[in-house]
Amino acid sequence: MVVTCSKENGIAVVKVGSALTAASVDAFREQLSSWQSAEPEVKNYVIDLERVDFMDSAGLGTLIAVLKRITERGGDMKIAHLQKKPRMVFEITRAYKVFEIYDTVEEALKGFE
Amino acid sequence: MKAVFYTADVLSWVDDLGGVPWPLLPIANRPLLDYWLETCADLNIGHVQVILGEGADQVEKYIGSGTRWGVEIQYSFARATERPLDYLKATSDRWQEGLLFISGPFFLRRMAGYDPVAFQSMDACCNGCLGQAQFLFGKNGDEVKKLLDETPKTECGLEKIHVEPYVIGGMSAYFDLNMNMVAGEFSRYVTAGFSDTDGSSVGYNVLTPPSAILNPPVIIGNDCRVCAMSTVGPNAVVADHVIVDSSTTLSNCLILCDTYIGQNLEIDHKIVAGNRLISPEDGTVVEIDDSWVVARNRPHMRTEDLLRYVVLWFMALALALVQLVPFLLLYPLVRLSRIGEYRRELFHDPRVGYVKLPVFYKTENRRSLVYSLFRMGSLDRFPWLLLALRGRLFVCGQPPMRHPQDDETIRQLPRYYPAVFSYADYCKDSDLLSDSLWYAHIRSLFEDVKILIKSLLHRFFRAGR
Repeated sequence: MVVTCSKENGIAVVKVGSALTAASVDAFREQLSSWQSAEPEVKNYVIDLERVDFMDSAGLGTLIAVLKRITERGGDMKIAHLQKKPRMVFEITRAYKVFEIYDTVEEALKGFE
Repeated sequence: MKAVFYTADVLSWVDDLGGVPWPLLPIANRPLLDYWLETCADLNIGHVQVILGEGADQVEKYIGSGTRWGVEIQYSFARATERPLDYLKATSDRWQEGLLFISGPFFLRRMAGYDPVAFQSMDACCNGCLGQAQFLFGKNGDEVKKLLDETPKTECGLEKIHVEPYVIGGMSAYFDLNMNMVAGEFSRYVTAGFSDTDGSSVGYNVLTPPSAILNPPVIIGNDCRVCAMSTVGPNAVVADHVIVDSSTTLSNCLILCDTYIGQNLEIDHKIVAGNRLISPEDGTVVEIDDSWVVARNRPHMRTEDLLRYVVLWFMALALALVQLVPFLLLYPLVRLSRIGEYRRELFHDPRVGYVKLPVFYKTENRRSLVYSLFRMGSLDRFPWLLLALRGRLFVCGQPPMRHPQDDETIRQLPRYYPAVFSYADYCKDSDLLSDSLWYAHIRSLFEDVKILIKSLLHRFFRAGR
């Protein structure tokens, strides 16, 4: 699992490199936490799921935990590029009601304006 | 007249629906073949030849000898080198009395003006695509021969009798057909006497607590369980042996048999087949490994089962040690007062087929302190506890199934855990099959301990009443 974090206009863009499952959530969480520790001033996040072709309940639970942590710090989190299969998991678990989902990273960044 | 059903085509998209061969694809909870065979009954066809391909054993098991439909069935296997039309032409002398031929996932969709009587006066016709006949009907040898010599047309005489030749060409067509059925078309396929007041059909043994809502139109199969605060419908087709866990909503969806739908889910515009979530639009399949989201209603859990068995064995040992002295003291008194006795009865056994178990019966209908004490301590189950310690019974699970009374129930059970204690010990409205299916899916150490404690407490407080 490779997580690439960058900053655009003070907003973090987190690119998740592969499927978000029970086997990979720990790596995702660790890499994101270490980047958050290095960039404590960043409040808002866009999670780019373009390369996430599958997500199980552990992956979904991790995203919810990340959202909770970010909102506790006074920030917000949006999701971009949600692929077909994870979208189906989002739909049945009602997760689409929890997250703001955008088709592209640019649209998600605009959503913070 | 004779009928030939060609079921040897290979349809790859059906594989995503969990291993059911396409001739048995459920449409409004009835296999496609069922509709074909009912057409034979409508046309007074007595002989049907089924040409088998993949899934032959399941098809043969379902149709059997054909007595359910009043037809005589003959089975044969398709030859790889021979197309169905070639076979019909080569055996044309067999169709002198007429022929009904259906091939591939072809559904005779009855439209609003359909009348079964019109079927009998239908003209000879043939329907097909890409030069292959999917439906052919001729009342005598000449009509059949003429049709076989022609190129199959895409339009045929079926429309004249208000039947649409519907080819189930993919996931989308399959889903749409089921949705049309639940929206009201299914009542065109049931016999006279069926009452369709709200466009719904609910099968046997469907458990719904007061807080569960069924929003018509829905079609629900047999032996299903809809848990608290769940909503089924509108436009939901739920097959047999489906468990819908609490606070879940099902609408515009098709749930195939033996599926568990987890808690707090929203299934809309989807097909669920076991642990597979399918988008009907493009056939995208997501296999979900988490058995608490959606799952096949019969998971294999060898490690958990072993752990459960070991922990419960020690609990049974402790309980047996506690019961030993009271049983040795009270049972002779029960026998002396002639208020109860053990009788050996035949039960199903998962390992050896059948086993005789001692069942305690109260033989006299009078109050007795000895009997009340005997029941309060669940001492009537002491011999079963000893059998559990010997590995012949589970401590908690499903009630042992009697032979032959419960033969039909056991045939429908994916897993059988005959046990000393079960839901039936503390739940007055317990249904044997529904509860057994529920236990087979939900079984866990927590559930077993819950059953054990509730059973012992219920029997203690209800003894003698």
